[in-house]
Amino acid sequence: MEILNHDIIILGSGLAGMTSAIHASRKSGNRLEIAIISKLHAMRSHSVAAEGGISGVLYPEYNKDSFDLHAYDTIKGSDYLADQDAVEILVENAPKEIIFYDHLGVPWNREEGGRVAQRPFGGMSIPRTAFAADKTGFFMMRSLYDEILSMNNIHIYHEHFTTSLLSKSGKFIGVVAIDLSTGNARLFRGKACIIATGGASRAYKFTTTSHASTGDGTALAYRSGFNLKDMEFVQFHPTALVPSGILITEAARGEGGYLYNSEGKRFMERYAKSKMELAPRDIISKAIITEIKEGRGLLHEESKLRYINLDMRHLDPKKIDERLPMIKDITIKMLGIDPAKDPIPVRPAAHFTMGGIDTDKKGRMSMGNGNESVGFWAVGEAGCVSVHGANRLGSNSLSQCSVWGRIVGEDVADYALKENSLSDGGVVREAEIEEARIAKMLDSNGKNNPYEIKEELTSTMDELVYVYRTTDGLRSALKKISELKNSFADIHLDDKGKIFNTNLRDVLELENILDIAHVITEAALNRTESRGAHSMVEFPKRDDKNWLKHTILSKGDTSDNITYLPVTITRWQPEERKY
Amino acid sequence: MRASRFMILLYVCMVGIPVLLLIYAFSYLFSQLFIERLVLAIIAFGLILYGILSFVDVYARKKGVNPHEVQIKLRFLERKKIEEGAPSLGKEGEKVVNLKIKRFNPDKKGLEESSYKMFADSLTTVLDMLLGVKASKDSTLAMRYSCRMGICGSCGMVVNGKPVLACETNVFKNLEKDEISVEPMQGHALLRDLVTDFDDFFEKHSSIKPGLYRVDEKEKYEPTKPYYQSKAELDKFLPYSYCIMCGLCVDACPVSNTNKDFLGPQALSQVYRYNADSRDQKGLRRIFDVDTLDGVWGCEFAGACSEVCPKGVDPATAIQLLKAELSKNLLKED
Repeated sequence: MEILNHDIIILGSGLAGMTSAIHASRKSGNRLEIAIISKLHAMRSHSVAAEGGISGVLYPEYNKDSFDLHAYDTIKGSDYLADQDAVEILVENAPKEIIFYDHLGVPWNREEGGRVAQRPFGGMSIPRTAFAADKTGFFMMRSLYDEILSMNNIHIYHEHFTTSLLSKSGKFIGVVAIDLSTGNARLFRGKACIIATGGASRAYKFTTTSHASTGDGTALAYRSGFNLKDMEFVQFHPTALVPSGILITEAARGEGGYLYNSEGKRFMERYAKSKMELAPRDIISKAIITEIKEGRGLLHEESKLRYINLDMRHLDPKKIDERLPMIKDITIKMLGIDPAKDPIPVRPAAHFTMGGIDTDKKGRMSMGNGNESVGFWAVGEAGCVSVHGANRLGSNSLSQCSVWGRIVGEDVADYALKENSLSDGGVVREAEIEEARIAKMLDSNGKNNPYEIKEELTSTMDELVYVYRTTDGLRSALKKISELKNSFADIHLDDKGKIFNTNLRDVLELENILDIAHVITEAALNRTESRGAHSMVEFPKRDDKNWLKHTILSKGDTSDNITYLPVTITRWQPEERKY
Repeated sequence: MRASRFMILLYVCMVGIPVLLLIYAFSYLFSQLFIERLVLAIIAFGLILYGILSFVDVYARKKGVNPHEVQIKLRFLERKKIEEGAPSLGKEGEKVVNLKIKRFNPDKKGLEESSYKMFADSLTTVLDMLLGVKASKDSTLAMRYSCRMGICGSCGMVVNGKPVLACETNVFKNLEKDEISVEPMQGHALLRDLVTDFDDFFEKHSSIKPGLYRVDEKEKYEPTKPYYQSKAELDKFLPYSYCIMCGLCVDACPVSNTNKDFLGPQALSQVYRYNADSRDQKGLRRIFDVDTLDGVWGCEFAGACSEVCPKGVDPATAIQLLKAELSKNLLKED
C-alpha cells in the first residue's frame, strides 16, 4: 500500500477545512506539511452552496450594532442550548473573518461609499449579514482555494474517500483513504487530524444539501468511539424549493419576501407577530408544517408534495437581479418560474446538523467511556462547540466555520510543531486490515440493492424524524433503521471495477448515513422536551429544569451510551423565547 | 392509508377467492354447514377490515392533512412499471424517454453506448435521470455530481452535442423524438464513463497563480479593516469571478482541443478576474506571465467558451481585454 507522510491531515475541503489549513500553515511559518483530503474536487465541497451571507458586527459606530446584541440574538435563537462562552468567541472574532475574506478577494456587495453591505436575517435584531449576492459560500470557497494554491506546503488530494481513522492507544497515527481515480487504498500518516467533513443532512431525502453531505467524518468518529453532541437537533430550513429541495436563501425574506398560505394570508402573523418572515428557522418551519397539517397548504401536482408560497413579486426586480441572481436563475431553470412574476413553492427541508462531534472550545475531540485521545480535532458543521445550540441562526454558520477554522488551525499547528516524529507502531498492519475490509465490501454479492436501502432510509427520516416528532414515530423509525442496517449486511455491489467506482463510494456513504440516522433518532427519542429544532408532540414545552443540558452520545460495545454535559451560561439567563 | 386499504381488497381477491375455490373442491370431505360458516367468516373478516380502515381514513382526513402524503416508495415502483412498458404512461406530462449514454471504457480505451428507458416528467433534469439509472438499472455508471443546483461545477457533460451542466438541464426541453443523448466532455482526458480527468485543467488554473496578491502580508492574514472598493470597481471584475471550474469552456474551445499547451479560456479568464480587482497589488506581472503564444495570444476568438459557460462568465471578452491591456503597455514601453 502506498504510504504518504504529512504533519497534519485535514478531512474535508469546505470552508472549515480550507481555513484551518491556511491558518495551520501560517502559524507554522509554512513549515508543516498539510494534506487536505477531499472526496470531491476540493473546490466543490458543499460550502459552495451557502447563499445568504456571513454574520458579524462590522460597523458598530454606524449602525449601533454590538457584540452583546449579536451574542444575545444567537443565544436566544439557540433556545438557550448554546454554550455562551463559545458564542462570545464567535461574535468577537466574526468581523475579523469577514475582513479576511475581503483580503482574499471575495466580491462583497458594497454600499455607496465602499462600505461592505449587510442585510437582515432571521432572528438577528440588526442587518449584520455581509453577502456577495446570493453566492456567498461559493465566492469564499473560490478565494480560499486560490489562496491555498499559493502555499506549497498544503497538498490537496482530490477525490479521496477516507474510510477509517487509525490511532494507537488513543493517539492519532493516520487515515486510510481510497483514491477514487485508481481505486487504490492509500495510507496517510500524520501527527494530527482535523475532521471538517460537514453536515449529514443526506440522511434525509428532502434536503437542501448536496449529494455529498453524508456526514462521513461524523460517522467515522462515532464508529471510532468518539463523543457526539446534540445530534437530535437537525435544522429544517423553511424555504426549500419543491420538489427538488434546492435551497431558497433566507435572504429572499431578508430582502422583503413574504410567505403565504393557500388562503392568501401571511400566516407568520399567527406564530411570530413581531418578526414575521424573519423569525428564526425552527419557528417558521413549525409554522409551515402546522399550516399544511391544518389544510392551508397547496398541492404540488408533479410531486404530490404540500407547500406554501414564497412571494417576492412586490420587490423591485432590480433588487432581485442584484442581490438574489442565483435564486432567480434556479427557479427559472428548474421550474420555469420567475420570482419577479410568480410565487415560489417551498417547504421545510433538512438543512444543517446543529449537533456533531463533541469538541471543546479549541475544537479538540473527546472519547466516550472515559477513554483518552490525542491528536483529533473537529471543526465546522462536523463539529459541535456548541454555538448553535438547538437552532442555528442563518449566516452564523459561515462565521462559525471561519472563526474556528482559525482557532483549530492554530491550535493544531502548535501541537504538530511540538510532536517530534510520526509514530510507527503497527500503523501499516492496521491500514492493511482496513484495505481488506474494503476489498471484502467490493466483493458483496448479496440480495439487497443499496440504492433501495438508501431510498427507504431517507424516506423514513423524512416521515418520522422531521419537524414534529412523536415517541411512537421515533420508535418505529429506530426499528426501521435497524432493519435497514441488517439489509445492508447483505447488499450487492455491482461495480467491481477499480477506476472511479462510484458504486463503492455510494455504499460507503450509505454505511455512514445509516449510522447518522440511527444516532439522530436515538438522541431525539431520548430528549423528552421541545427545544429549538427538536419538537416532540407529547412534550410541547421547553423543560429547563430537566433538559438544559447537552446530549453526549458514544458507541458502546452493545448499545450506545448517553450522558449529559451542562450548558455554559455566562450572562444571559434562559427566558421565554418569543418573537 | 388508501394504499393499504387497496392492499386488503387485493388480498381478499387474490388470496381469499382461490382459497374458497379450493375449499369447495374438497367440500365432500366436510359438512355443508361448516363450509358455509367458513365462507361467511372469511367474507365478514374482509369487510370488517375494510370498514375499519375506511373509518380510520375518514378520521385522519378530518384531523388534518398528512404533510407526507407523497408515497415515495409507491412512486418508485410505479415509475419502474412505467419504464418497463406497462400499457398506460401514467399521467399527462409524463413520458418514457430513451436515454443514450456514451461511456468511456478505460480497459478498452474507447466509448461504448448504452441506452436506458427512463421515466421523466416536466421537471426531470438530466442528472435526475442519470441518478435513476444508477439506482435502478445499472449502478456501475460513473459520473460526477454533487450540489445539483449549478454551483459546484461537478456535472459538466455533453447533452445532445452541447456542453452543459447535467443538473440544470431539463429533459423535456432537450428531447429529440423522445430521445436524449449524453456523453463525456471529450476536450479533457477521459477516466471512465462520463468522468473526465481534471488534472491538466487544475494544473493550468494553478499555473497562473490565482489569488489576490497583497504586499502587506500581516494585514492580509491578521486583518483589521476592509479595503476600500467602489461599486464601479466591483463591477469591473464581478462577472469574471462567477467561474465554477466546471471545465465546459475548455471542452468547447477549438484551440484547447488541438493545442494541449494552450492555457485555455478558464485560466485566462481568471488572470483577468484578479487583474481587474482594484484590491490586487500584483500589477502587470500577472498579465506579463501570460503574454505568450500558449497564453493570451493562443486564443483565436472563436467565442465558444463564452457561449457554453453556464454561469455567464465571458472568457472570450476577458482574453481580448488582456490582449488590449498588453498592447497598451507594449506601446507605452516603446
